[in-house]
Amino acid sequence: MAAVADNAAVVGMAEIAQVDPAIYADITGILQNMLADWGVDAADIDLETRLVADLEFASVDIIHLAVAIEEHYKRPRMGFQELLMKDGRYVDDVLVHQLVAFVDAKLAEPRA
Amino acid sequence: MTRTLFIGLDGCTFTVLDSLTSDLPGSGVVMPFLKRLMERGARAALRSTPNPLTPPAWVSIMTGRSPGNHGVYDFVRTEERGGEVYFTLSDSRDVRVETIWSIASRQDRRIVSLNFPITAPPRPVNGSLVPGFVPWKHLRRNVTPTALFDRLKSIPGFDPKELAWDFEKESQSVLELTPEETENWVRYHLGREEQWFRIAEKLLTEDKPDLMAVMFDGTDKIQHQAWPFLDPALFDKDKSEWAQRMIGLCRRYFNELDGYIERLVTLAGPDTQVFFASDHGFAASTDVVRINTILHDLGHLEWHAPDASESGKRRERSWFANLDWKKTVAYCRTPSSNGINIRVATRPGEPGVSPETYEPFREKLIRQLRDIRDEVTGERVFREILKREDVFAGPAMNEAPDLLLGLRDFGFVSIADARPAVAKRKVPVGTHHPDGIFIAAGPGIRAGVKADLRHVEDVAATLLYSLDLPLPADFEGKAAESFFSPEHLAAHPVRTGSPTLPVKDGEVQDGEIPDDEKEKIIKQLQMLGYME
Repeated sequence: MAAVADNAAVVGMAEIAQVDPAIYADITGILQNMLADWGVDAADIDLETRLVADLEFASVDIIHLAVAIEEHYKRPRMGFQELLMKDGRYVDDVLVHQLVAFVDAKLAEPRA
Repeated sequence: MTRTLFIGLDGCTFTVLDSLTSDLPGSGVVMPFLKRLMERGARAALRSTPNPLTPPAWVSIMTGRSPGNHGVYDFVRTEERGGEVYFTLSDSRDVRVETIWSIASRQDRRIVSLNFPITAPPRPVNGSLVPGFVPWKHLRRNVTPTALFDRLKSIPGFDPKELAWDFEKESQSVLELTPEETENWVRYHLGREEQWFRIAEKLLTEDKPDLMAVMFDGTDKIQHQAWPFLDPALFDKDKSEWAQRMIGLCRRYFNELDGYIERLVTLAGPDTQVFFASDHGFAASTDVVRINTILHDLGHLEWHAPDASESGKRRERSWFANLDWKKTVAYCRTPSSNGINIRVATRPGEPGVSPETYEPFREKLIRQLRDIRDEVTGERVFREILKREDVFAGPAMNEAPDLLLGLRDFGFVSIADARPAVAKRKVPVGTHHPDGIFIAAGPGIRAGVKADLRHVEDVAATLLYSLDLPLPADFEGKAAESFFSPEHLAAHPVRTGSPTLPVKDGEVQDGEIPDDEKEKIIKQLQMLGYME
């Protein structure tokens, strides 16, 4: 797994240093495609971009993003609840690098 | 040529339709075209799915299968993992069986399907599909073929924001609104229906699909909030200026809808068979039944203590039950489910009943619920309490609630943490009744026929029959033969063909054509001179 060194250097997080560039590019592409109609600036999406705070995602948009990602990878039911819920509660926001790491981990699992 | 025009009218009920197609004092006939069409056509009440709700019922209409087979029970799908319950929206990948869009497409029929729920993400069809219940932000990516969205943009006045499902606005349909909000609610749907009509008009004119299908859902949304102004038993009761304005506004909606229907039927032409169906009917709901409060009082459910975090506040505002999952054994997930889920512990220490005590627990719960009575009248609150195997038998039964509740007024439960557990509403609201509408008109259809009760699964079979296609052997629905003239039936006998193709995660799988079907095809080709 190659690291996205530039981004890791900027934000200085070990977690981000592990991001797979191909998945990062896929997720960025999916987000940009989604945002094309929304009137939200999608040009500056990076690993620290927050879906809710920066891209104006509502909960229903996150559901549609999950479906779009599952459709892209042809991997239905990837188990997004593991990303979106912590201790029985929905998280307040999701960062792009968290999304990429989640997808990376799920793609590494054998298909059901 | 368009052979079959199918107009879905969400939640449409004969109680209202018969009123709007009759001469009403002060308004005349609100739906004159539909009146004429019904007079030269056939009709039947249409029994909905066991829980008469939009997603399962429309999926039954689109598949000819019951929820225990098609697998869709509610607007949301729920997963319980490790003591956490995760809610997500039901989508096309939850539909476990083949739809009529696919069945017709693979037999060379061109189709257009507009605004039907649970059709996103879309699967390829021989024609065009715009899914229903998708927010405008996601509509472009969910139409098929991909280029269709650009075609839609060429329609004068096309506005995806007005057309598409608005999650925030739609959540109002089950809330109590102020008079001003109620009025705005009806007005909001006037523009939405025109948007869907314009798309239908364009695709019907330009593509002339064999099967043209469009669903108008304002009928349901307006009846939920404006039922007292539509129900003939109620609309004379309130003489206030506002009530009269609301009656006028509701009738304007249906009058405009009548105009859309007339235009589509006219465009389709005199050789087209026209069908109307609704996923359920409507009735007045007078009760509030707080089911999770009842389950709490019975000792089966614990509420989650509210917290002040943003997440906690959001959770409290959501439609879903906010419970202490470590202490809850039986609960209702969503108001629309009208169901109770019993949690079964798969390992020692997990919350829930043990597998061995599941059945005795469920029996006890049924007895307890039967004893819930109206404090004033002594009447039972639950008209019926059904076990899932009795109403949802099939490969998808395990995803159904363990118990399905039928309220005495046909209403939906509340899952709010509030008291009293059972109360009367100040004003009746519209709720889903099990019996909707099924109407047919056109060549080969008998005039003035009131046929016996049909079931939602019969709609898919009837549409395939109208398309001159064989009915899949595994369909539960039957063609509504009583709608058709003896001459038509003699010339077009109902045929049974090979079963539907298997579906996995919403994708139709390549299926082997059964040998007997292969033989028939070869014989037909031989008769036509294509094979020796």
